[in-house]
Amino acid sequence: MSKSLLIISRQAPWAGPSAREALDIALAGGAFDLPIGMLFLDDGVLQLAPAQRPGALQQKDLGANLQALPLFGVESLYASARSLQERGLAGQPRTPAAEVLDDAALTALIDRYDQVITL
Amino acid sequence: MATLHVLSHSPFSDSRLSSCLRLLGPGDGLLLSGDAVYALQPGTAQRQALDLMPAGIALFALAEDLSARGLDASPRAQAVDYPEFVELSCRFAKVNSWL
Repeated sequence: MSKSLLIISRQAPWAGPSAREALDIALAGGAFDLPIGMLFLDDGVLQLAPAQRPGALQQKDLGANLQALPLFGVESLYASARSLQERGLAGQPRTPAAEVLDDAALTALIDRYDQVITL
Repeated sequence: MATLHVLSHSPFSDSRLSSCLRLLGPGDGLLLSGDAVYALQPGTAQRQALDLMPAGIALFALAEDLSARGLDASPRAQAVDYPEFVELSCRFAKVNSWL
Protein backbone atom coordinates (compact mmCIF):
# COMPACT_ATOMS: atom_id res chain seq x y z
CA MET A 1 0.00 0.00 0.00
CA SER A 2 1.57 3.27 -1.13
CA LYS A 3 1.94 6.04 1.42
CA SER A 4 -0.30 9.03 0.80
CA LEU A 5 1.36 12.40 0.23
CA LEU A 6 -0.13 15.84 0.78
CA ILE A 7 1.64 18.64 -1.11
CA ILE A 8 1.03 22.09 0.34
CA SER A 9 1.62 24.74 -2.30
CA ARG A 10 1.85 28.24 -0.85
CA GLN A 11 3.59 30.35 -3.49
CA ALA A 12 2.01 32.69 -6.05
CA PRO A 13 2.13 31.39 -9.63
CA TRP A 14 4.46 33.63 -11.64
CA ALA A 15 7.20 35.02 -9.37
CA GLY A 16 9.40 31.97 -8.90
CA PRO A 17 9.79 28.26 -9.49
CA SER A 18 8.07 27.05 -6.29
CA ALA A 19 4.52 26.83 -7.60
CA ARG A 20 5.65 24.88 -10.66
CA GLU A 21 7.87 22.60 -8.59
CA ALA A 22 5.03 21.70 -6.25
CA LEU A 23 2.86 20.96 -9.25
CA ASP A 24 5.58 18.84 -10.86
CA ILE A 25 5.81 16.71 -7.72
CA ALA A 26 2.05 16.21 -7.78
CA LEU A 27 1.99 15.27 -11.47
CA ALA A 28 4.94 12.91 -11.12
CA GLY A 29 3.37 11.22 -8.11
CA GLY A 30 0.06 10.98 -9.90
CA ALA A 31 1.70 9.38 -12.93
CA PHE A 32 3.00 6.64 -10.61
CA ASP A 33 -0.47 6.15 -9.10
CA LEU A 34 0.58 7.43 -5.69
CA PRO A 35 -2.28 8.72 -3.53
CA ILE A 36 -1.58 12.45 -3.78
CA GLY A 37 -3.46 15.40 -2.36
CA MET A 38 -2.73 19.03 -3.09
CA LEU A 39 -3.55 21.91 -0.78
CA PHE A 40 -3.37 25.54 -1.92
CA LEU A 41 -2.48 27.73 1.06
CA ASP A 42 -1.49 31.40 1.53
CA ASP A 43 -0.39 32.90 -1.83
CA GLY A 44 -0.77 29.43 -3.33
CA VAL A 45 -4.50 30.08 -3.78
CA LEU A 46 -3.58 32.76 -6.34
CA GLN A 47 -2.75 29.89 -8.71
CA LEU A 48 -6.49 29.19 -8.85
CA ALA A 49 -7.50 32.73 -9.85
CA PRO A 50 -9.57 33.05 -13.04
CA ALA A 51 -8.52 34.66 -16.35
CA GLN A 52 -4.76 34.56 -15.89
CA ARG A 53 -2.86 35.35 -19.12
CA PRO A 54 0.88 34.93 -18.43
CA GLY A 55 1.85 34.87 -22.13
CA ALA A 56 3.83 38.11 -22.02
CA LEU A 57 5.93 36.78 -19.13
CA GLN A 58 7.33 34.09 -21.42
CA GLN A 59 6.68 31.40 -18.86
CA LYS A 60 4.97 28.12 -19.43
CA ASP A 61 1.33 28.28 -18.49
CA LEU A 62 0.90 26.81 -15.04
CA GLY A 63 -2.84 26.68 -15.69
CA ALA A 64 -2.44 23.91 -18.24
CA ASN A 65 -0.59 21.79 -15.66
CA LEU A 66 -3.20 22.55 -13.03
CA GLN A 67 -5.93 21.40 -15.41
CA ALA A 68 -3.93 18.22 -16.01
CA LEU A 69 -3.97 17.18 -12.34
CA PRO A 70 -7.20 15.13 -12.57
CA LEU A 71 -5.90 13.45 -15.76
CA PHE A 72 -2.89 12.28 -13.74
CA GLY A 73 -5.12 10.93 -11.01
CA VAL A 74 -4.62 13.85 -8.64
CA GLU A 75 -8.23 14.61 -7.81
CA SER A 76 -7.93 15.55 -4.15
CA LEU A 77 -7.53 19.32 -4.42
CA TYR A 78 -8.09 21.63 -1.47
CA ALA A 79 -7.88 25.37 -0.83
CA SER A 80 -7.76 27.34 2.40
CA ALA A 81 -10.95 29.36 2.95
CA ARG A 82 -8.99 31.92 4.94
CA SER A 83 -6.34 32.36 2.24
CA LEU A 84 -9.04 32.80 -0.43
CA GLN A 85 -10.92 35.29 1.73
CA GLU A 86 -7.78 37.34 2.48
CA ARG A 87 -6.98 37.63 -1.23
CA GLY A 88 -10.46 38.52 -2.43
CA LEU A 89 -10.96 35.18 -4.15
CA ALA A 90 -13.71 33.77 -1.94
CA GLY A 91 -16.53 34.52 -4.37
CA GLN A 92 -14.55 34.00 -7.58
CA PRO A 93 -14.72 31.03 -9.91
CA ARG A 94 -11.65 28.84 -9.50
CA THR A 95 -9.89 26.47 -11.87
CA PRO A 96 -9.40 23.71 -11.21
CA ALA A 97 -12.18 23.29 -8.67
CA ALA A 98 -10.78 22.71 -5.19
CA GLU A 99 -12.59 21.85 -2.01
CA VAL A 100 -12.55 24.88 0.28
CA LEU A 101 -11.68 24.09 3.90
CA ASP A 102 -11.46 26.14 7.08
CA ASP A 103 -8.44 26.01 9.41
CA ALA A 104 -9.79 23.19 11.60
CA ALA A 105 -10.54 21.08 8.52
CA LEU A 106 -7.00 21.74 7.22
CA THR A 107 -5.53 20.44 10.48
CA ALA A 108 -7.61 17.28 10.09
CA LEU A 109 -6.56 17.02 6.43
CA ILE A 110 -2.84 17.10 7.29
CA ASP A 111 -3.47 14.53 9.99
CA ARG A 112 -5.05 12.17 7.47
CA TYR A 113 -2.05 11.94 5.13
CA ASP A 114 1.00 9.74 5.73
CA GLN A 115 3.48 12.34 4.49
CA VAL A 116 3.36 16.10 4.01
CA ILE A 117 5.62 18.57 2.22
CA THR A 118 5.22 22.34 2.07
CA LEU A 119 6.68 24.26 -0.86
CA MET B 1 -0.66 10.89 13.35
CA ALA B 2 1.15 13.75 15.05
CA THR B 3 3.22 15.98 12.79
CA LEU B 4 6.51 17.71 13.50
CA HIS B 5 6.43 21.02 11.62
CA VAL B 6 9.89 22.36 10.75
CA LEU B 7 10.35 26.07 10.02
CA SER B 8 13.60 27.67 8.85
CA HIS B 9 12.65 31.15 7.57
CA SER B 10 12.55 34.41 9.51
CA PRO B 11 9.04 35.01 10.88
CA PHE B 12 9.43 38.75 10.32
CA SER B 13 9.65 38.64 6.53
CA ASP B 14 7.42 35.71 5.86
CA SER B 15 4.04 34.23 6.79
CA ARG B 16 5.07 30.59 7.29
CA LEU B 17 5.00 30.82 11.08
CA SER B 18 1.54 32.37 11.30
CA SER B 19 0.11 29.91 8.77
CA CYS B 20 1.75 27.00 10.54
CA LEU B 21 0.40 28.07 13.94
CA ARG B 22 -3.14 28.03 12.53
CA LEU B 23 -2.73 24.48 11.23
CA LEU B 24 -1.12 22.86 14.28
CA GLY B 25 -3.16 20.04 15.74
CA PRO B 26 -3.15 18.78 19.32
CA GLY B 27 -0.02 16.70 19.91
CA ASP B 28 1.86 18.22 16.99
CA GLY B 29 5.36 19.61 17.43
CA LEU B 30 7.07 22.71 16.08
CA LEU B 31 10.81 22.87 15.50
CA LEU B 32 12.57 26.16 14.72
CA SER B 33 15.82 26.08 12.80
CA GLY B 34 17.89 28.66 10.95
CA ASP B 35 16.33 32.12 10.87
CA ALA B 36 13.05 30.73 12.24
CA VAL B 37 14.62 30.84 15.72
CA TYR B 38 14.22 34.65 15.54
CA ALA B 39 10.60 33.93 16.48
CA LEU B 40 11.91 33.48 20.05
CA GLN B 41 13.17 37.09 20.14
CA PRO B 42 11.75 38.49 23.42
CA GLY B 43 9.26 41.33 23.11
CA THR B 44 7.93 40.36 19.69
CA ALA B 45 4.43 39.33 18.64
CA GLN B 46 5.92 36.12 17.26
CA ARG B 47 7.43 35.20 20.63
CA GLN B 48 4.13 35.96 22.30
CA ALA B 49 2.26 33.74 19.83
CA LEU B 50 4.64 30.87 20.61
CA ASP B 51 4.29 31.40 24.37
CA LEU B 52 0.50 31.21 23.99
CA MET B 53 0.44 27.92 22.11
CA PRO B 54 -1.55 25.13 23.83
CA ALA B 55 0.60 23.14 26.24
CA GLY B 56 0.06 19.95 24.22
CA ILE B 57 2.15 21.34 21.36
CA ALA B 58 5.86 20.79 21.90
CA LEU B 59 8.21 23.58 20.82
CA PHE B 60 11.86 22.98 19.92
CA ALA B 61 14.68 25.17 18.63
CA LEU B 62 18.08 24.16 17.33
CA ALA B 63 20.65 25.18 19.94
CA GLU B 64 23.40 26.14 17.52
CA ASP B 65 21.08 28.41 15.54
CA LEU B 66 19.99 30.07 18.79
CA SER B 67 23.51 30.69 20.03
CA ALA B 68 24.71 31.89 16.63
CA ARG B 69 22.05 34.60 16.83
CA GLY B 70 22.56 35.49 20.50
CA LEU B 71 19.19 34.08 21.50
CA ASP B 72 18.19 31.83 24.40
CA ALA B 73 15.55 29.13 24.38
CA SER B 74 12.38 30.42 26.07
CA PRO B 75 10.82 28.57 29.02
CA ARG B 76 8.32 27.30 26.45
CA ALA B 77 10.96 26.09 23.96
CA GLN B 78 13.36 23.21 24.39
CA ALA B 79 16.80 23.67 22.78
CA VAL B 80 17.90 20.58 20.84
CA ASP B 81 21.03 19.54 18.99
CA TYR B 82 21.14 17.68 15.67
CA PRO B 83 21.06 14.15 17.16
CA GLU B 84 17.94 15.17 19.08
CA PHE B 85 16.50 16.66 15.87
CA VAL B 86 16.92 13.24 14.24
CA GLU B 87 15.35 11.55 17.24
CA LEU B 88 12.37 13.93 17.07
CA SER B 89 11.95 13.24 13.36
CA CYS B 90 11.58 9.57 14.20
CA ARG B 91 9.33 10.13 17.21
CA PHE B 92 6.65 12.00 15.24
CA ALA B 93 4.57 10.13 12.68
CA LYS B 94 5.64 12.56 9.97
CA VAL B 95 7.67 15.70 9.39
CA ASN B 96 6.31 18.67 7.46
CA SER B 97 9.15 20.92 6.30
CA TRP B 98 7.95 24.38 5.34
CA LEU B 99 10.42 24.89 2.47
